[in-house]
Amino acid sequence: MPLTMSDSESITRVLFEDFAPWAVRLFYVIGYAAIFVFLYGVYVEVRKYRRGRAASLDGRWVDRFKAMVASVLNHRTIARRDRMAGAAHRLIFYGFVLLFIGTTTITLDADILGPLFGLHFWRGDFYLWFSLVLDIAGVLLAGGLLYMMYRRGWLKLPKLDYARPDRQPADPDYDRSNYRREDWAFLWALLLIVVTGYFLEAARLVWLAARPDVWDYRWWSPAGAALAEVLRAAGVHAAAGGALRQDLWWFHGLAALLFIALIPFTKVKHIFTSAGSLMVRDLLAAQRLPRVPQEEQRVGAQFITDFTWKQLLHLDACTKCGRCHEVCPARAVGAPLSPRDVILSLREFANKTLESAVLPAAAELDVHGKGPGQVSMETLWACRTCMACVEVCPVAIEHIPIIVQMRRKLVEDGQMDPQLKKTLQTIHKTGNSFGESKRKRGAWTKSLPYPVKDARKDPVDVLWFVGDYASFDPRNQKVTQSFATLLKEAGVDYGILYDGESNAGNDVRRVGEEGLYEVLAEANIKSLSSASFKTIVTTDPHSYNTIRNEYPDFGGRYEIQHYTTLLLQLLQQGRLRVARELHARVTFHDPCHLGRFNKGYEAPREILRLLGCELIEMGRCRSNSFCCGAGGGRIWMPDSVGLDKPAHNRMREAATIPGLQVYVVSCPKDLTMFEDALKMTGNEGKFVVKELIELVREALAQEETAPAPGVAA
Amino acid sequence: MKILVAVKQVASLDEDFEIRSDGKDVDSDFLIRDLNEWDDFSLEEAMRIKESATQAVEIVVVCVGPAAADEALRKCLAKGADRAMRIWDDAIEGSDSIAIARLIAAVAVREAPDMLFAGVQSADHAFASTGIATAALLKWPHAAVVAHLIYTPGAKTAVIRRELEGGVLHEMQIECPAVLTIQLGINTPRYSSLRSIKQAAAKPIEVLSLAALGVKADEVGAGGSLSRVRRMYVPEKGRAQMIEGSVTEQAARLAEIIKDLAPGDA
Repeated sequence: MPLTMSDSESITRVLFEDFAPWAVRLFYVIGYAAIFVFLYGVYVEVRKYRRGRAASLDGRWVDRFKAMVASVLNHRTIARRDRMAGAAHRLIFYGFVLLFIGTTTITLDADILGPLFGLHFWRGDFYLWFSLVLDIAGVLLAGGLLYMMYRRGWLKLPKLDYARPDRQPADPDYDRSNYRREDWAFLWALLLIVVTGYFLEAARLVWLAARPDVWDYRWWSPAGAALAEVLRAAGVHAAAGGALRQDLWWFHGLAALLFIALIPFTKVKHIFTSAGSLMVRDLLAAQRLPRVPQEEQRVGAQFITDFTWKQLLHLDACTKCGRCHEVCPARAVGAPLSPRDVILSLREFANKTLESAVLPAAAELDVHGKGPGQVSMETLWACRTCMACVEVCPVAIEHIPIIVQMRRKLVEDGQMDPQLKKTLQTIHKTGNSFGESKRKRGAWTKSLPYPVKDARKDPVDVLWFVGDYASFDPRNQKVTQSFATLLKEAGVDYGILYDGESNAGNDVRRVGEEGLYEVLAEANIKSLSSASFKTIVTTDPHSYNTIRNEYPDFGGRYEIQHYTTLLLQLLQQGRLRVARELHARVTFHDPCHLGRFNKGYEAPREILRLLGCELIEMGRCRSNSFCCGAGGGRIWMPDSVGLDKPAHNRMREAATIPGLQVYVVSCPKDLTMFEDALKMTGNEGKFVVKELIELVREALAQEETAPAPGVAA
Repeated sequence: MKILVAVKQVASLDEDFEIRSDGKDVDSDFLIRDLNEWDDFSLEEAMRIKESATQAVEIVVVCVGPAAADEALRKCLAKGADRAMRIWDDAIEGSDSIAIARLIAAVAVREAPDMLFAGVQSADHAFASTGIATAALLKWPHAAVVAHLIYTPGAKTAVIRRELEGGVLHEMQIECPAVLTIQLGINTPRYSSLRSIKQAAAKPIEVLSLAALGVKADEVGAGGSLSRVRRMYVPEKGRAQMIEGSVTEQAARLAEIIKDLAPGDA
């Protein structure tokens, strides 16, 4: 009758059975010591975070908590783009949680309700179900751990390789073998605790095989029972079982207590820090950068204590999963940047300096440089602020604000590329990065057969914020003129700001020149407030992002859309009509600032469908789109000699699509970057790079005047 | 210990500019103003001396110009100058470089600096004479087009190097106080972030009148100048024309043109 149930009071596991009173007391002493060590570790960590600055969180703690619990329970962020890792982590997580709840249940019964109220519920049916669930939990946990070992040991995924692109092998902090040892120790320790738990269970069964209230119910702990059968078959009987149980009890118990004690000191702490990081996440971390308070004397992050407690917590949340390392376009081309290593460097630095009892002198807190734990300017300037790292991070680490805040300090000290310095001075002087006269901003309208309204003089429905590249770059001017014609044909009442428009500042801000950004944003908001309009449209995703997400912080609240959604509306309303379908095989490149930043994935694809294009997606599309390399002010800096370029990397990816005719972009900088990359990668003549606006124009035009898509002259 | 740095707010031409109605200058609507590029380098040279000095060094920038020139001075304050002075009076309008030098020399007498730096020339008018004229008025030693400077604050002499034709370097020792006009490339000027420029807006700029400097109104302006602008204009571009036809025809046409060009003198 092994699987029948019973309410018998005797069906339970007697805690500390056959233990001498001193042994029980010893166990409790060790248990309290472990808890004390754990709490001390927590105290040290909390003290570390409190040495950071105050963070401006928007409250909403209940919502934040709910969102965090949901993320943790559904594991969506962990399973994204790595289903197997997600599945294995789910096993470990749920196994661990069940076992933890199990242990807590025993504590509740034996140490709280029992002694206080004489109440014991851990017996009978409840006990049997409890045994079954925990046995299964252990199997889940062990299965997850074994897969993770397989992943580390045999799959040898590049993202789990800790080789640093930002250090040379001779550098003192190049070696990451301690991380590797810790990873393995973590897996082995948990596995050892699980396995010894099963053997302990089995040894107890063998030891108490003569007792029907134990032995007859053994299959309620199936793994333990199976092992017990194996032990008995191997000739282990009651006495030997009892001795084995005694040894294993102590081993398992002490291992588990040691594990708990070490949580704050090892990677195990991620169970708290990652959850905390998810809870304090800023959903617009990369889209809306933090302002510098007016009263602030120092600018940007120079010392580790210049980061907020939230950022210090983010540093500790990293589990080295390597996803940011994998998606980073700078890392992909061999630049000395890995978002993971920025986070780990700063974490090592924070641990070294902020965990000590007394805060070290300021000189020892400087995070800039090439020393251990410091981040070099070459690393910081390699970032494109494309948001791939922030977007993919399963534990909500916000790399971009950290990098930009460190760049602000570099800008303040003038530690930047001479060409970038010049461009910033040019933008300050002329309001645009081309160094052109303000008056020439609207010059592209001169060759149009109709006038374009000055929105500062005439009220309009739609204010078109043109942006630098679309205004001044000769190739992009053609696209700009095409878009003007589309608006005209659709009967949209629109106007531009002419010389009242300045560079929107998105990239200036991401460079870290916050003062100049403020000047630009305030100038544009002033111009916009002098115009009368209902909504704003722009062909530039960079301008789109900053006007949409950052201008509100400066008092500029507008309804703004990227041209893709406006054109889609016009096509759907029939205000623009497709005269002929293009039947071209195309692929679409999601601009960082339209896609990842603002989730504008659908409109351009829907337009391509309406134009009759056959859209073949690249492997890296939508949220996983690959940056052209121009973001974060990199377009104003020369590329490092001898390195690959992100745009070339992307062109090679596109070139693998059989029969590709058009590589479609929807961002002025993309057009510049990819037309160049097309030539440089030898793909000229195979397919062409076009703005979506140009395709729309072609599809609207009559057959005889329209140039064929695909390979153009 | 003090270094006086003379700076100028220069103008660059905007697209499609127009000449002023009196024909003597560009219409100021078409000018984009900025700190003279050379002055960026002379201020940086002063800043370097200050930053490597063991004693306190005060850097004073001075500029002759109307209120709009404060922007150039703010940039200097943003980069770390300690004090800024602007000299202006409507009578100064129309001054040439000698008259400007008179004003700077008057400031130098008042401030008694250990060194006076100026840029080799201004990017707009390119007289390259203000600095040297100042030295002449002060009767101080001077050196022009300085490309390298070794100077310890308080020292009686400085060693300078000047670039001559053919890549030859001219190294010389000069007694202090001296006037040096600084060449581009002597250093790498620092970046002044917009934040530091904004913060500099709160620093005072001392405005000096002619009276405060003891300069008479007739010593400046057109009257106090040794040269006057007659007109400013864009010369008409020359045109080329291909002469076609046989050799005889070409020769005949050429002779015709020559006759046309020199009607009276022929």
